[in-house]
Amino acid sequence: MTSKRMIFLQELLALFGLKDRLRLEWISSSEAQKFVQVVTEFTEQIRSMGPSPLHGKHKIDRFAITGGMLNAKDNQKLD
Amino acid sequence: MQKTIRSWIEQGRVDLFIACKMSYGHPLPHVFSRGNLDECQQIVPDTFKYPLDKFALTLARQHPELKIGILARDCTQRSLNILRVWNQLEPDQIRPLPLSCCPSRLADSCDCSYLNPGECGQWKKEVGLDPGLSPEDVRDMPPDERFSRWMYEFSKCIKCYGCRNICPVCFCRECSLEHPDLVQTGQFLSEVPIFHLTRAVHMAGRCIDCGLCEQACPVDIPLRLLYSMVNQIVLDKFDYQTGTSQEQAPLNMLGTELA
Repeated sequence: MTSKRMIFLQELLALFGLKDRLRLEWISSSEAQKFVQVVTEFTEQIRSMGPSPLHGKHKIDRFAITGGMLNAKDNQKLD
Repeated sequence: MQKTIRSWIEQGRVDLFIACKMSYGHPLPHVFSRGNLDECQQIVPDTFKYPLDKFALTLARQHPELKIGILARDCTQRSLNILRVWNQLEPDQIRPLPLSCCPSRLADSCDCSYLNPGECGQWKKEVGLDPGLSPEDVRDMPPDERFSRWMYEFSKCIKCYGCRNICPVCFCRECSLEHPDLVQTGQFLSEVPIFHLTRAVHMAGRCIDCGLCEQACPVDIPLRLLYSMVNQIVLDKFDYQTGTSQEQAPLNMLGTELA
């Protein structure tokens, strides 16, 4: 079930420009080395992708948007 | 249609029938039963798209022994399929009387004017998303642009919960969108984008494209487009078209089976 959800979620995040930031691994508590390896690898992968769009250059100013909506003739339904 | 409904009640095929009655010049939802059979003459089609399936679900939960009939638009029939798949309804609890009127991609015939998107304003086209786009159009945009346009749309949200309240396939008694550990509660503007992405994930394998959410949204977020993108993923990855059958859904079954 989890694998189905993860496949789906990875696609969904990719659609929003957050590709490759989610990963699923099954690691038992006795596989310490595998855990270390996976975490190091993934951390490096994320670091190389740069800051997340959520905190980076696309940070949205909500009040500017609301102001823009009220000033512009946005959508006929709002008139 | 009125005669059919009346005969269903008289013959005991259903105990109650949920349809619309012309009241004060407007087709309002109304329950017909043996006690008010004469009012069946005033039954009219549900042209204003009330979520009759939600009323039926509430009644069915309170009185599981009742047989409930319902005037079913195409979207209502799809939502009843989903409710059965997700174990919210027993197979014989609700009997739909079909009223074919749907222009969604998921249906065959069409008459419903609500799903025809109106002309979209200039500002929205530049910064946001035209609700008339298809999922493929959105996929063609570069990732940066996709992100910023969706963030614009989500940032308009005032967290009225209209989309969740009116959705016929949103049946959870405790909603994760009101759970403080999962989504930030208690502030006026919703937490963007977690609120909408959570809703989108819950709509995977459940949204049947009735369009009530987009109709209800006071700030015109293109929700039909969002959920159709989500269900497009479900179709591509799991080969499952939401709402068309009463077979078990991939995301409803534990384990790795898809059917």
